[in-house]
Amino acid sequence: MSGSEDEGGEEYLFKIVIIGDSAVGKSNLLSRYARNEFNMHSKATIGVEFQTQCLEIDSKEVKAQIWDTAGQERFRAVTSAYYRGAVGALIVYDISRRTTFDSVGRWLDELKTHCDTTVAMMLVGNKCDLENIRAVSVDEGKSLAEAEGLFFMETSALDSTNVKTAFEMVIREIYTNVSRKVLNSETYKAELSVNRVSLVNNGASTSKQNQPYFSCCSR
Amino acid sequence: MDEEYDVIVLGTGLKECILSGLLSVDGLKVLHMDRNDYYGGESTSLNLIQLWKRFRGDDKPPPHLGASRDYNIDMNPKFIMANGNLVRVLIHTDVTKYLSFKAVDGSFVFNKGKVHKVPANDMEALKSPLMGLFEKRRARKFFIYVQNYNESDPKTHEGMDLTRVTTKELIAKYGLDDNTIDFIGHALALHSDDRYLAEPALDTVKRMKLYAESLARFQGGSPYIYPLYGLGELPQAFARLSAVYGGTYMLNKPECKVEFDEEGKVVGVTSEGETAKCKKVVCDPSYLPGKVRKVGRVARAIAIMSHPIPSTDDSHSVQIILPQKQLGRKSDMYLFCCSYTHNVAPKGKFIAFVSTEAETDQPAIELKPGIDLLGPVDEIFFDIYDRYEPVNEPTLDNCFVSTSYDATTHFESTVDDVLNMYTLITGKVIDLSVDLSAASAAEE
Repeated sequence: MSGSEDEGGEEYLFKIVIIGDSAVGKSNLLSRYARNEFNMHSKATIGVEFQTQCLEIDSKEVKAQIWDTAGQERFRAVTSAYYRGAVGALIVYDISRRTTFDSVGRWLDELKTHCDTTVAMMLVGNKCDLENIRAVSVDEGKSLAEAEGLFFMETSALDSTNVKTAFEMVIREIYTNVSRKVLNSETYKAELSVNRVSLVNNGASTSKQNQPYFSCCSR
Repeated sequence: MDEEYDVIVLGTGLKECILSGLLSVDGLKVLHMDRNDYYGGESTSLNLIQLWKRFRGDDKPPPHLGASRDYNIDMNPKFIMANGNLVRVLIHTDVTKYLSFKAVDGSFVFNKGKVHKVPANDMEALKSPLMGLFEKRRARKFFIYVQNYNESDPKTHEGMDLTRVTTKELIAKYGLDDNTIDFIGHALALHSDDRYLAEPALDTVKRMKLYAESLARFQGGSPYIYPLYGLGELPQAFARLSAVYGGTYMLNKPECKVEFDEEGKVVGVTSEGETAKCKKVVCDPSYLPGKVRKVGRVARAIAIMSHPIPSTDDSHSVQIILPQKQLGRKSDMYLFCCSYTHNVAPKGKFIAFVSTEAETDQPAIELKPGIDLLGPVDEIFFDIYDRYEPVNEPTLDNCFVSTSYDATTHFESTVDDVLNMYTLITGKVIDLSVDLSAASAAEE
């Protein structure tokens, strides 16, 4: 990269949530993006918290705190707290299972009930490596995304197709949204921090990860 | 469903969610169900539409109140003691990472028809009109005694065995007057009636120490903290902990019916025609009404306002204690107020609660002394509900029923109930002596 990295860069922390039916690959998308890992066995999500990734945009350090559902979506029991403060969302379906695509509308409703309208949203058709048993065409995904005002991308967490691109597109869109309303953002941020207290040691990050591995601006 | 679990938890109240989290972390297989389509049970926080639905039937909230989702109105208002048991549980389980807290601006007490700040430091104590000058000197000696008291160090006891000496006897030794006693007992030790005077003084001394330690923890204007977005965040945070460790969650499960074998031991729970088997059931009183008895009632008012409570120095979050003697009642009355600064209402709006142990069937009349302190209100709702405690023998039926939430100002009794239940369920005792000094922090 060209240009100085010491421009007194501001720091941003963006919460992003991943939603969608069980077993569409939400956890593998996250682990592929954050740790470049993929687990073949589709167990209900256990032990996954959230991952923090760093990105640099316009010489500013941007941290994305990406949340997984911890399996609570299996019986439609995602908490409203899960969505709290989210500024980005990936709505994931499995291209080989029609029902997961049919659920996207319900996930969008839930998202809109709990989040601000300025949330950056991407529709993600995962498992595009399963072309031979595809049940949802690219055009269908694209049309729904256009109708709902979402970004759209097909991905494969298995073979890494488009995973990084999908997350970074959402993060950049969030950054653009935040920059556009920087005055409101500063006011809101300042207001929220008044009298805020931390229950844990200052040294501990509030976005503690399950994994000690931390990938940050390595590119 | 149609599976086998170690424990099935019914109701997603705070107690049930803490237990679900603890048991899942212990490696037990937990199924957690609720008949509602939201988390929290009796300790939930409602948005505006939910509030209207619950208290006004088919009416709709007026548009001028703002967006429904900007409201998070607690159904069981309490503040968290900054050094109390709930904080220790939050740190012990690492659930703090899901939550954000702010200090509560102020703590006040109603005395002789006026609202007074409970002193938060020596300077405020000197200026406070709650005590005369000579009384302040006597009180200071008492406070120093309490501050220095260490249960395991007899030198600090000054010859008194606080497990035998009553609170009244202890206070008499320092020559304090009735007004001061009232203030200490209700505004610092947070007793809700006067039975403590005839009981051993140790409990009151411990409570006063908790108050002082909580006050010092974040050096705010009060000993309390409170989560952003309201108390409904707490059960959800513990539910996530449970889910992360394998707990299964189902909402909107009507009529969760507990099934028993011929010996009266629990074998499972049936809902919508499916039965999940289990060894133990944990639930709130509403899921096993035959195993609980009524022990009291709570009267409550919820008000939406466009201003802070008068005489509270424009505090955006505040507690006011109205001691029973000031009101001529048997129990204290409590006012809570929080606002948009804690993200429980849109900008400019405040949510106030008045609550007490009910002594009549008419909450609007009974709560009037508290409501009169609120000033003008945009909307107000009244409620009265029963409190229950379990009467079953868990060793016989393997059912563990929580006690209803009381009208106290904080969560100490709530956590005590949870810890006792945990020990009954698992046979283990949780060590909550987390290193608070390592966890202490200044404002972010």
